[in-house]
Amino acid sequence: MDILRKLYDMTAFSNLLENPAPLLMLFVGVVLLYLGIKKQYEPLLLVPIGFGVILANLPGAGMGIVPGEFIELGDHKYMNLFEIAHEYGIMNFLYYSLIKTGLLPPIIFMGVGALTDFGPMLRNLKLSLFGAAAQLGIFSVLLVAIAAGFSPKEAGSLAIIGGADGPTAIYTTIILAPHLLGPIAIAAYSYMALVPVIIPFMVKLTCSSKELKINMKEQDKLYPSKNVIKNIKAVKIAFPIVLGIVIAFFVPSSVPLLGMLLFGNLVKEIGANTLRLSDAASGPIMNAATIFLGLTVGATMTSDVFLDFKTIGIIVGGFFAFAISVIGGIFLVKGYNMFSKKKINPLIGATGLSAVPMASRVANEIALKYDTKNHVLQYCMASNISGVIGSAVAAGVLISFLG
Amino acid sequence: MSENFELALQLLGIGMGTVFIILFLVILIGNTIIKFVNRFIPEAQKVIRQNVTSVLGITSPEKMAAIVSAVQIVTGGKGKVTSINKE
Repeated sequence: MDILRKLYDMTAFSNLLENPAPLLMLFVGVVLLYLGIKKQYEPLLLVPIGFGVILANLPGAGMGIVPGEFIELGDHKYMNLFEIAHEYGIMNFLYYSLIKTGLLPPIIFMGVGALTDFGPMLRNLKLSLFGAAAQLGIFSVLLVAIAAGFSPKEAGSLAIIGGADGPTAIYTTIILAPHLLGPIAIAAYSYMALVPVIIPFMVKLTCSSKELKINMKEQDKLYPSKNVIKNIKAVKIAFPIVLGIVIAFFVPSSVPLLGMLLFGNLVKEIGANTLRLSDAASGPIMNAATIFLGLTVGATMTSDVFLDFKTIGIIVGGFFAFAISVIGGIFLVKGYNMFSKKKINPLIGATGLSAVPMASRVANEIALKYDTKNHVLQYCMASNISGVIGSAVAAGVLISFLG
Repeated sequence: MSENFELALQLLGIGMGTVFIILFLVILIGNTIIKFVNRFIPEAQKVIRQNVTSVLGITSPEKMAAIVSAVQIVTGGKGKVTSINKE
């Protein structure tokens, strides 16, 4: 009988009977895996996050991330990584070395930079301004979140979802409210995956078919740009260097993200001589970083952290941040069109979000529905790429004031 | 609460202002670089391509561009296409 009792204690069933909440979290993990695998919603992130949720909530496995207080020794001293690994297992080792230090989001940004082409933005520089208006969701939801009872740091982390940029949201949350990392990462990536639903919905609510038929190429012919680029390669090489230095003076707290993005872009634009670096940044390094980021973020979602009213607030607030950002971009275009002879399709404002290139692709499809000859992809990419810069700057502002 | 709300209002102004200023700067920097490059380093690639095209007598610019860029990637930008022989 004693042996049977010991056998029962050895299994996870005893833990489950004491606290059945992890079962619900296992269900959440399976749902995330379903969305990633079957529905193909951001599978590169949702699959590792979903599996991380499952690992963290397997009773008795010790794979869940423990709160910061657990590794604090008092007097602002903390356990070293060896002690963390020994005491709380490898997932906590990975979390406290790669995530809590803020290492992985900038590494992913380096890869994003190596995959980004600033060409469309440089050819349509004026359109990049609409990437600024699309950050409105961040700062307006910050207000609402504070009114709803979130602390300023928590509200800042929630609001950054409106930037539609996963690594930026994660980086900001690590610094401002690490205890909300799991729900915020899930909300950010889920809404990014829902861009093909959210943008058409917001566009339908706010734009007329006449506005959506504005043909950008025809507008370009009517009012041609004064700037013709004679050597695009040289411009693309100089741009990340100069921009990085200038932004560093204005918003230094955005440099870990933007600096790495611009470095990744530089090694890509140099071409053959740095091809190996660019391949490494956008391939193996980014892929490895994505795996560890996804798993560890998923592992922060233990039942006691996730099953909370704040999670619902984050999911609702995140949606509004996203929606207001889309509307912000659209209304700036509408305002611009009131005063300018050269009209701009409001879809270009709607893509001021960071979700590159999905937002642009979705906007292009909408434009083609109204006019089969109206290809707006390149124009949308201009505001879409500037949205990446805009959301990183917005994150820098939040970190500077609230961090 | 009201103190936090005041901070959020402040951040709305400062944050949006900063993002607009930075993206104005992006436009300014982009335009300045384009003007500088147009004036001091206008395209050098085109000349090489034209020379090679005329040397080889190949009329399709797409084929020429593909051959030249393949050679540039393989040789790390050091190699030049001087002749192509069909065997």
